[in-house]
Amino acid sequence: MITRWVYRTVDARLGTTSVARTALAKVFPDQWTFMFGEIALYSFLALVLTGVYLTLFFDPTSAQTVYDGAYQPLSGSTVSGAYASAVALSYDVRAGLLIRQAHHWAALLFVGAIVLHLLRIFVTGAFRKPREINWVIGVTMLTLALLNGFTGYSMPDDLLSGTGLRIIYSVVLSVPVVGAWLAQLAFGGEFPSDATLPRLFVTHVLIVPAVFAALISAHLAIIIRQKHTQFPGPGRRERNVVGSRLWPAYTVRTLSLAAGVFAVVFALGGLVQINPVWIYGPFSPAKATSPAQPDWYVAWGDGALRLFPAVEFHVFGHLVPSPFLPAVGVGTVTFLVLYAWPWLDRWRTGDRASRHLLQPPRQRPGRIAVAAWAVTFFAVLLVAAVDDIIARLFAIPVTGILRTLQVLVLTLPFVVAAVAYTVARALRGGTARSVGELTAEELRGGLTASPGPVELGDDDPVALDQLITLWRNPDDTWRWRWTGPDDEKLASNEAYLSRDEAVAAASVAFVGVPIDQTEPPPDVVLPPPTGHGRAARVAAGAAWVAMAIVAWRRSRKDRP
Amino acid sequence: MSGQHRPQGGTVHAIRLAFGISVLGAVEFAVAYGLGGNTQLLGVGLAVAFGGLCVGLWLWGRRLLPMGGFVEQRPPLAATQQDVTLLAHAIGGPESPVRRRGLLGMFALAVGTVGLALLFPARSLLSFRKPDPDVALDHTAWRFGGLRLVTPEGVPVRAADVGAETIQIVVPEGHTRDGDVPAFVVRVDPANLITPPPGGMVGGGLVAYSLLCTHAGCPVALYQQTTGRMLCPCHQSTFDLFNAATPVAGPAARPLPGLPIVVDADGYLRASGDFTSPPGPGYWSRP
Amino acid sequence: MTHDPLRPSAPRRAAWLLLATAASIGVLGPASAAAPTLSTRSAPSPSGTSMPSTAPSGAATPPSGPGAALYGQNCASCHGDRGGGTAYGPALTEVGPADVDFQLSTGRMPLRQERYSDVHRDPAFAPDEIAALVQYVASFPPGGGPTVPVVRPGDPRTGRELYLTYCSACHSAAGIGATLTNGRFAPSLMRATPTQVGEAVRVGPGLMPAFPSGVLSDADVDALAAYVDVLQSGPAELDRGGWSLGRLGPFTEGAVAWVLGLGALVLLARRLGSRAR
Repeated sequence: MITRWVYRTVDARLGTTSVARTALAKVFPDQWTFMFGEIALYSFLALVLTGVYLTLFFDPTSAQTVYDGAYQPLSGSTVSGAYASAVALSYDVRAGLLIRQAHHWAALLFVGAIVLHLLRIFVTGAFRKPREINWVIGVTMLTLALLNGFTGYSMPDDLLSGTGLRIIYSVVLSVPVVGAWLAQLAFGGEFPSDATLPRLFVTHVLIVPAVFAALISAHLAIIIRQKHTQFPGPGRRERNVVGSRLWPAYTVRTLSLAAGVFAVVFALGGLVQINPVWIYGPFSPAKATSPAQPDWYVAWGDGALRLFPAVEFHVFGHLVPSPFLPAVGVGTVTFLVLYAWPWLDRWRTGDRASRHLLQPPRQRPGRIAVAAWAVTFFAVLLVAAVDDIIARLFAIPVTGILRTLQVLVLTLPFVVAAVAYTVARALRGGTARSVGELTAEELRGGLTASPGPVELGDDDPVALDQLITLWRNPDDTWRWRWTGPDDEKLASNEAYLSRDEAVAAASVAFVGVPIDQTEPPPDVVLPPPTGHGRAARVAAGAAWVAMAIVAWRRSRKDRP
Repeated sequence: MSGQHRPQGGTVHAIRLAFGISVLGAVEFAVAYGLGGNTQLLGVGLAVAFGGLCVGLWLWGRRLLPMGGFVEQRPPLAATQQDVTLLAHAIGGPESPVRRRGLLGMFALAVGTVGLALLFPARSLLSFRKPDPDVALDHTAWRFGGLRLVTPEGVPVRAADVGAETIQIVVPEGHTRDGDVPAFVVRVDPANLITPPPGGMVGGGLVAYSLLCTHAGCPVALYQQTTGRMLCPCHQSTFDLFNAATPVAGPAARPLPGLPIVVDADGYLRASGDFTSPPGPGYWSRP
Repeated sequence: MTHDPLRPSAPRRAAWLLLATAASIGVLGPASAAAPTLSTRSAPSPSGTSMPSTAPSGAATPPSGPGAALYGQNCASCHGDRGGGTAYGPALTEVGPADVDFQLSTGRMPLRQERYSDVHRDPAFAPDEIAALVQYVASFPPGGGPTVPVVRPGDPRTGRELYLTYCSACHSAAGIGATLTNGRFAPSLMRATPTQVGEAVRVGPGLMPAFPSGVLSDADVDALAAYVDVLQSGPAELDRGGWSLGRLGPFTEGAVAWVLGLGALVLLARRLGSRAR
């Protein structure tokens, strides 16, 4: 009753009903890999919520202060305000450590989910026209995620992150011509500068999150406008989307995923220690700790720095230091290729049409090979970033590991790419549904045969065994339902106010399929006819009470 | 969606149980907070609270609600020619500013100029009061000459304190927090030296070098006393102290700069000048 | 409604995936546990090693007794009859009691394999045998070298600052040790007793530099030992964030985020969504 009143109040002022009706009926594809982006979205939500809490306690200053709190070995020591407040968050703010750790874990999950999402988009060709803009927005969000991850990691001003900050400073410094100026812009002076922490802080909590909010909004708005992609399948066409409606089915599932993300974030935040800054100690330019690694999402850069040989060269008498190529070079090339990929792909295939149906990964072995190459390349770089820990665990010389990885980073990606290419071609040429079902013969076929790309039909030609049935509901709305050759059934996602609307929608979703007006099919749940009078309502209420009494009596009778 | 054909009682019970567990988790969280906020108990509380919700909603979504079965039309995004023409008329009608080419040009000029002018304060991010960054990188506080070598805690170091098998990390007195000054003093056996140290040697084998790796600037602080090597913890560059601190392994390409030191009348170590070359990572204008 | 959401095999497959996740975690776990030096569990300090510092400095000690017998059986083959050294082992005549006690009480000596090990092991001898051996070796002329330091309770706050200046570069800020070159490494300090910390500081065993009292005073050593004791404390005190992951830092954290965190979430997405395309 009250909700109805509230809704009418809102609707009278904003006119939300038709928008809400359409929104609730929006169709989401059910395939599970479509949820990776949502994992990132909910991780972002967790980041914002925990992050806001942290800002209330964190003090982003390098001004020296005396830590006077519960962590005994630091109590009474003079450290930077940032470090003191980070330790206080861990020891003196009740629940502070949980929130701090949850924030850090959420950041690791956030970037990981973005990477998974990106890979899914990549291998299925979801970046193709008309989704290039959203691809570019997505790649931009990945760069921002890396940036904000790193600034967040660096802000506590502990010895480990300070070492990382120093490396990034050196990397920025290595940029030809403008390196020193860029470094001063980012760090506010020669490292370590008092201006660094405020700049990191404002970037981390204001600028990047604001840009993020705008980009996520744009990302989602574009998805709503363009609607989801979908894999080819029964009834799926370029001109429609098949799946579950936002309300109720998808809402419940996505809320489950949101709760799952929060559960994982807080489980890790409470049970697995992350970045114990109190152990690492405050940063000081003359102190060091080892092993020293950054968080995983930038560790590929650290790995590249370790693997790249000691090569410096001069250009016009100016120095190009050794970190430039592995750190700046690899990162720049990677992101340039990522940004340009939709156009590179189009250039390769010559396909200029809008594509809403995805390509199953096997359909484009070349693309799979590129993805496999990149994943392997970055995986080797990640392993290289822990060469010292590996050396330690297996008691072997770190230089030996380094040499091995230097060879691997140049060879292994090609090997893996070739395998992926072959398997994809074998899958495309054969009948196997998954890698496990491949036969040796099919694999050989993947090596030798070269069937051209099998292009799935744009809209399959009108088959006579498809039918759209159209009917009028008792409440005077209209609906339709598609029936496929194998008796698959897909219902229209919303009820239409007029027959014309319903026919228009059906003929967009299924071009050229005959429409047949019938009585409501027996297996659909129909809305009740409108126009209950007061008497009907009273009667319904009475019936409800009567049924409740009957049920209550029954349950009493059932009791032993 | 009732779906009477499937037995649901068990599922409904399970969902109710999951939400009930969620309530218990939340209560546990609140209690744990009240009792002092043990991180693990708090984390378990929230994890159970959200985990219960997650499982309950999952069962609800998968068992009580249908999966798929709906289709939504996707009209083409590009408008018809007629629509585009209408838009063009709407924008470029007779009173449209677009038709006032002269005014529009001046307007664009004004907006552009205002925009450019507003960019000027951004230059303040590169402080005017500091020397140009590429100049500042060329030297360190050691250049003031005669500064005593002190430990990072500020204790002056005597030549006699640095024993045969030890290392002492030092910074210039009064500049202990500068990023580019850290150095170290070690005593090497002159008989082992292949190349004379660039910063010279005092007191029968005392040499000083910059502590900062010439690769990415990390403190090269892992001293392997028997081999006379310094190892960088970040990327495993190794420098040979017997050979003027030239890199022997890892990604560093330049030797560590030496620090010229002297022993003063009281036996304290002092620097007689700046490093023999700019310390730390390379940069474009590095001499 | 066209496909059945729950195929009968689905729960079993999920269980299998969970198992696989657990197994891959298991790989992480035992790997760190297998290398004893990486374990952060603090071991009870073998009390016997904190022996009296009144190690005699040479001359008057009788060259016989239990020490001589033990030396003859276990040490003389490499270090020579009177500590003069051989082709297999260095001379012991000037190393000092601290070094001998350190090498014996941390189980580095006698060698159990051909290569010198940087790993802290259980000592081969009982505390009184070690004391006898130390006494006996100290009797070799000309003697000298650092004596076994007496480590008293110190201030962990000073110790923390000193530790980060002098020790953390090699032994890690977390005390877990780190890699050096040529397969050598700075050992974990998780099993080091205060006396052993003091001995290592003064002697500089293996690749470690020595820190004479001009660099680190006796009070500094006490403080350092006190802070190492803090580092050895476990989940209740120092690792209050939870499972410490061996304090190995961001890489293990990333591995956990991928395997446990994203692993669980991807499984969840798989159960929530449809398997069919």
